[in-house]
Amino acid sequence: MIRVEHLSKKYGDLTVLKDITIEIKKGEVISIIGPSGTGKSTFLRCLNLLDQPSGGSIHIDGIDILQPKADVPKIRQKMNMVFQSFNLFSHLSVLENLTIAPIKLRGMSRQNAELKSLELLRMVGLGEKADSYPDELSGGQKQRVAIARCLAMEPEIILFDEPTSALDPTMVSEVLSVIRRLTKEGMTMVIVTHEMDFARDVSNRVLYMDEGLIYEEGTPQQIFENPQREKTRAFINRIRSFNYLINSPDYDLYAMNAEIEAFCEKQILPRKTRHNLLLLVEELLQIYHPLLDRTLLDMTLSYSERKESLELVLESTGEAVNPLDKNLLPDELGLTIINSLVEAIDYQRVDNRNRLTLTVKKG
Amino acid sequence: MEIQTKKESNATVVTITGRLDAVTAPEYEKKLNELIDDENICFVVDFAELDYISSAGLRVLLATAKRLKGKGGQIRFANVKGTVKEVFDISGFGSIFQMDDTVADALAKIG
Repeated sequence: MIRVEHLSKKYGDLTVLKDITIEIKKGEVISIIGPSGTGKSTFLRCLNLLDQPSGGSIHIDGIDILQPKADVPKIRQKMNMVFQSFNLFSHLSVLENLTIAPIKLRGMSRQNAELKSLELLRMVGLGEKADSYPDELSGGQKQRVAIARCLAMEPEIILFDEPTSALDPTMVSEVLSVIRRLTKEGMTMVIVTHEMDFARDVSNRVLYMDEGLIYEEGTPQQIFENPQREKTRAFINRIRSFNYLINSPDYDLYAMNAEIEAFCEKQILPRKTRHNLLLLVEELLQIYHPLLDRTLLDMTLSYSERKESLELVLESTGEAVNPLDKNLLPDELGLTIINSLVEAIDYQRVDNRNRLTLTVKKG
Repeated sequence: MEIQTKKESNATVVTITGRLDAVTAPEYEKKLNELIDDENICFVVDFAELDYISSAGLRVLLATAKRLKGKGGQIRFANVKGTVKEVFDISGFGSIFQMDDTVADALAKIG
């Protein structure tokens, strides 16, 4: 359906896309992941010519759309886009947002356009909002209207450019469930997203973009469970782990807690697990506290979805000593709590550092 | 953490809200000590609005209870539940303190 060969895009001296070659088949759902600034959105914008590529070719159903004679508006009707910032027409009602393009570009009658649009609004759960205006809607509702607007033109392919990134976390799932439904209906989709669980769940293929290239691609299982290349591994590990450096006894417990909570939220860990993790971290840091004026403490929290396990590793500089040695503690209260929260504790001396590895009990 | 106090006929009810942890435990200890210095020796601590407690919190509860005992006073805990109760149980503190289901029950048991 879409064949891209050696696509490149430069802005002056800055090369954003170096050399992109990919084929997207009808009915495929492709997620594009990767760090910010690696050209993911630029790639989508080149696909539907919102940005003009610097080189290469894009064939849609055999037609090279970069040729001067290409019928760009017609191509855009085949391939529609949902944006991070919704881009609804604020001066038009929700229904008018959906009907304007079918009426003006496809010559549909108002009556038919409205009938079809109402059906689409009902499909995204917003039938009763037809006469509302965009500024009366929540972010999640706006994005669902944007998706319905996209569908009103009966596209063959939908491009999603970070459809949930501008949304409050509470609204993300309502939009993802609409997108999920479209995948089940066989729509061809290319989705740039930071929602890794969603990408893993709905995609046939995942592209990891970095260095201006499709750095690695594979099935969701290949990319998320078994990434082969270094940068993919680092990216996947980063989203699955959290690191915090403590170099003073005056560390901000609440700032650290907020970051741990954000990490738990991303991994969709149960409330109980989050509570236990925060308690475990506080108890450990209380034990380390007397050492923190002369010791650097490096804390890494990682979650393996495959094993459903949460591991906490604390590495500290200084003399060889197990910080949890009860003979060194003023009382056993903290250690008792720690032992109740973990499945296993391991102490090792590695590279002149004391390393404690704790496996958190499943909540 | 917020601490509210209310004087009843036979005790002072101390309601703690939020977290009793390494950051807030000193504040609790200071408040209780001020109340004890002010000749209050019977307390009911209401845990209904407390979401979280760590060993730092347990230690100040113990320290203030010990101080009260030295003065012939009493302290009872009411509405200890959920994850806070679990921490009490894990640490064995559940059996050290006098615990009641409600503030009214606790006040009734204060001699």
